[in-house]
Amino acid sequence: MPLLEVKDLRIAYQNPSTGEQMLAVDGVSFKVEPGETLGIVGESGCGKSTLARALMAYCRPGGVIVGGEVLFDGNNILEFTDEQIRELRGRRMAMVPQDPLTSLTYHMKVGPQIDEILKIHQQLGAHAARLSTLKLFEGTNLPTPEKSYGRYPHENSGGQRQRVVIAGALACQPDLLILDEPTTALDTTTEMQVLKLVKELRDRMGTALIYITHDLTLTDYICENVLVMREGKVVERGKATEIFSAPQTDYGKMLVAAIPRVDAAFPEPAPAIDKQEASTATLLLNVENLSYRYAQRWSIDALFNPQQEELAVDNVSFELRRGETLGLVGESGSGKSTIANIVVGLMAPTSGEVAFDGASINMIDKFRSAELRRRIQIIFQDPLSSLNPRRRIESILTRPLKIFFGMSGAAARDRAVELLEDMELSADLLKRFPRQLSGGQQQRVAIARAFTAKPDLILCDEVTSALDVSVQAHVLELLKGIQNKTGAASLFISHDLGVVKQVADDTVVLQKGHIVDAGTTRSVFGDPTHTYTKLLLAAASRREDYADLSTAAPTTAGALRGR
Amino acid sequence: MLVNGKSLGAILTHSPGTTVGVILVSLHLLNALFAPLLIPYGETQLVGQPMLEPGHANFLLGTDVIGRDFLSRLMMGGRTSITVAMVGVLGAVLIGTFFAVSAAYIGGFYDDVIMRIVDTKLSIPGILFVALFVVGFGRSVTVLTIVIGLSYFPGAVRTIRSQAMTQVPLAYVKAARLRGESTLSVIFRELTPNVVEVVVVEFAIRTSSAILIVSALSFLGLGISPPTPDWGLMVSEGVNQIYQAPWLILFPAVFISTLVVGLNFASDGLANALGLDAARGLHGG
Amino acid sequence: MLRAMIRRTLLSVLILFLVAIFVFLATEVLPGDALDVYLSEDDVAVMTEEDIEEMRHDLGLDIPAPIRFFTWLSGAVVGDFGVTIVDQIPIGNIIFHPLLNSLQLGAIITLITMPVAFAIGATAGYWRGQRTDAVVSTTTIIGYSIPDFVIGTVLIIIFAVWIPLFPAVITAYNKAHPMELLAVSLLPAITVIIGHVAHLSRLLRAGFIETMNSDFVERARLSGVPERRVVWRHVLPASVIPTLNAMALYMAGVLSGLIVVEKVFGYPGLGIELIEAVDTREVHVVQAIAFLGAVLVVVMNLLADFAIIALDPRVRSHVSER
Repeated sequence: MPLLEVKDLRIAYQNPSTGEQMLAVDGVSFKVEPGETLGIVGESGCGKSTLARALMAYCRPGGVIVGGEVLFDGNNILEFTDEQIRELRGRRMAMVPQDPLTSLTYHMKVGPQIDEILKIHQQLGAHAARLSTLKLFEGTNLPTPEKSYGRYPHENSGGQRQRVVIAGALACQPDLLILDEPTTALDTTTEMQVLKLVKELRDRMGTALIYITHDLTLTDYICENVLVMREGKVVERGKATEIFSAPQTDYGKMLVAAIPRVDAAFPEPAPAIDKQEASTATLLLNVENLSYRYAQRWSIDALFNPQQEELAVDNVSFELRRGETLGLVGESGSGKSTIANIVVGLMAPTSGEVAFDGASINMIDKFRSAELRRRIQIIFQDPLSSLNPRRRIESILTRPLKIFFGMSGAAARDRAVELLEDMELSADLLKRFPRQLSGGQQQRVAIARAFTAKPDLILCDEVTSALDVSVQAHVLELLKGIQNKTGAASLFISHDLGVVKQVADDTVVLQKGHIVDAGTTRSVFGDPTHTYTKLLLAAASRREDYADLSTAAPTTAGALRGR
Repeated sequence: MLVNGKSLGAILTHSPGTTVGVILVSLHLLNALFAPLLIPYGETQLVGQPMLEPGHANFLLGTDVIGRDFLSRLMMGGRTSITVAMVGVLGAVLIGTFFAVSAAYIGGFYDDVIMRIVDTKLSIPGILFVALFVVGFGRSVTVLTIVIGLSYFPGAVRTIRSQAMTQVPLAYVKAARLRGESTLSVIFRELTPNVVEVVVVEFAIRTSSAILIVSALSFLGLGISPPTPDWGLMVSEGVNQIYQAPWLILFPAVFISTLVVGLNFASDGLANALGLDAARGLHGG
Repeated sequence: MLRAMIRRTLLSVLILFLVAIFVFLATEVLPGDALDVYLSEDDVAVMTEEDIEEMRHDLGLDIPAPIRFFTWLSGAVVGDFGVTIVDQIPIGNIIFHPLLNSLQLGAIITLITMPVAFAIGATAGYWRGQRTDAVVSTTTIIGYSIPDFVIGTVLIIIFAVWIPLFPAVITAYNKAHPMELLAVSLLPAITVIIGHVAHLSRLLRAGFIETMNSDFVERARLSGVPERRVVWRHVLPASVIPTLNAMALYMAGVLSGLIVVEKVFGYPGLGIELIEAVDTREVHVVQAIAFLGAVLVVVMNLLADFAIIALDPRVRSHVSER
């Protein structure tokens, strides 16, 4: 008998203002055998998290299970009483949620939150519960269990918090563990440690596992079987390795093909003529010994609460030639976005020199000439928030044209349409508001806006990280296209090594504000010399030797401890 | 008009409570607008015996303590306080929007100064604040309107600023700054349109609160002065006749209460429809 | 933690200093000095310039405003607010007993309002969108829409005129025994409580709903924590913390409410003194009462800040954000 069997499950959300119902999960069926590992993959909004919660007979406010069965040990838990289902949750089936910070009660210390579960399900006394919790913390490799026990959630690092939550889920040795995107809030290297832990625990305890994620490479790493979901339906299912190597459906193929992979081949080398031109091309951006320290803003609060910040960027130097693309790679907190903000003029460097086309640009935007502001443009990470929600696309695109070139009326409109066409968007969008566009369309509009200025340098700050995998590749392609067409150079900032490998000519690897590795993309990725680069590459390609690298590199331990 | 993809009609009939509120407010506003044309007698004229009971042949609701037509006074009794409240709050909210948005955008010392002024005002209980001005500047409709404006300015700044603070760090504001928009342009062109809902709800909620305050002041003798008819004033004038003529209190009480109940139901519905939380905007003062 | 508390205390002192400046400016500088405010046009018509100057000198009003301000402030800090204009009685003597009486009534109101509002807010929030919630929402809107003076007067009409259970007007004196005042506090207290329970319970309901929707509640539920424990241990503390400051601000509202009900019922408190002082244009009395009101609000706010620091570990470690 399967441990869990889902039959034709349908879950609907009710729109509170119109009252109409929308199916988030639409007729899903599958089985999980004891000890099996199943991955459920899909892009945002495909209903995978709603499904995960429904497996524990739980819906968020507004959601209703409208049909189907969830059989656990042969019993339909959707028909259980509240008390019966409560007995099951945390004891026989447990969930590891997405964001460990918000998922732990902020006003309670973390230890007692795990004790609580043990007290409820195993009737342990206070002392026994505490001892068990500490043992669980050791089992999830928390470095200092005693200390962590007495800390509040926000006092632990991201990786530590996730270990606490996993310890809580494992407290009663459940038969089924559901992990809902448990590593999205973590850095690549921390993510890898947590994944490895999950795998170890699974092997040790024989727990059946359902792993929900948007990342196919993760399921390939951790799961035997995979379900691919799209718009509430299962569109593909099978062995993880098979789906990854030979997807059957178009959607599956597209999903696999779209993954930016570090272990993929280097992109076709650019035509020789271009290459030659590039090598002789003149220097566009020259950054020398750049450092940045967050200065404390003057305020009454600050008087009472002086703070010392460490350097966010520490003595960084690199250069970028006309028409080329330089990748800046690093985890969160590595200083890569700070560098972008300095180049574009949102911040001024604490020390060092930033030169653009031979002239110093060490000043913030209001001291720069309009011409300089025009020549350096930036594209932000989150496309929705980078477009004013109260302006139509037409206004968003024509406003910079007016400011930079004094264009208005039909001329500006025509130019806007032209740029939209470059981004393969129709002119109909001009009358829409940003919220009426999809994420990919929004980002393409943001790119079009940056190119209204005919820039010489374009800063791309994590431009694909907020997008679904299936649209990432297309957006990147369009970006490269317009960049080639206009000859703009690009400073491409990303934590995603696969993406950088695809687009960058040269790459700089940053760690905690320092440059640890630099060179042509081919040399950095093909033959990494620095341990940290190796570590990032191993983590990104989900290689097992990751852990050995991390122990072999004590200098990087700080970065691994989390964000 | 479309707000957040909802038509004005849909917003105003959001729930039964909202509909009731909108109807009550409309009736009161129509009455306040057209009362001068409709009233049977001049509201300050002595036209009959004092304290005639309601149902009298010539005076539908009887007469007041000194023989003025009670119905006429009732119908005219909301005009002053509604005007004072609306003008005062409108001024507070409009000027407050500018200070709130600019404080959020410019930040630093400027923000600090504005917020400390706001804290200062919020520390002085509403009626005491008005009393200070009334004792200093005397009581007149102008002083009252300005004081109401001053009273509601800090609260409006606080609520609108916290909404603006959610917008300031967003990339579209950086984008505007980087293409060289002036500070004023960022404030008016980029940020202000994105706090409009909060401003509208602030206006609605604070107007009803201001009407409460104005009538309470009139009741205390610190607000609108006789012989101008005002519901709060009429209640206090009726107190001495509480045994003989309780209706002199009850009628104005019903008028003022239905107006404020209507306003609050309507603004609660408005806030809900716009996805805002009315309770958050109700900070005392 | 201690540093956070010291910091908040210093900020409160700063606010009180600003309040003092404001109170002084609004009454003694902008409209002219206390004598200008005190004297009516009729008075000015019958008095000679010399008379007025002499009076001004006697009252010490010929001293420059900044010096007068600091003299007034240094007195105010120790409870000396100067003397009345008309018969030179120390203001401290006038307002001492009314202040105590008002504090007593205010304390009764606060002690009842808080738990009742809390129970109603949490109940409505827990059964959000259901019948109980709808009834509570409608009632609370009506509750805070009806003016205090209307509620008070209607209560008098019902419980003193139609059913003569209570006297229509309280006849106690300023120096009445606290127990005597307690006996007549019922109707005034109910009058203020109705509006404030309505307001606060809506605020708490909103806080409660927000917390109920948070991830940590979901995690607790999915860990099999019983619902009762989820509510008491996880939700309640988290839903109170963000509303504490707002609750403190509502105490400013209670003060305004007190002034009104004291007038309605003739309760011998600061409200009566205030209205009398405004009528007789005793500027210094109004100043003193306004300043004391602000002190009370600032202290309540400070207590709320302390409570937040004690309850919310995040605030304890990052005191900088607000």
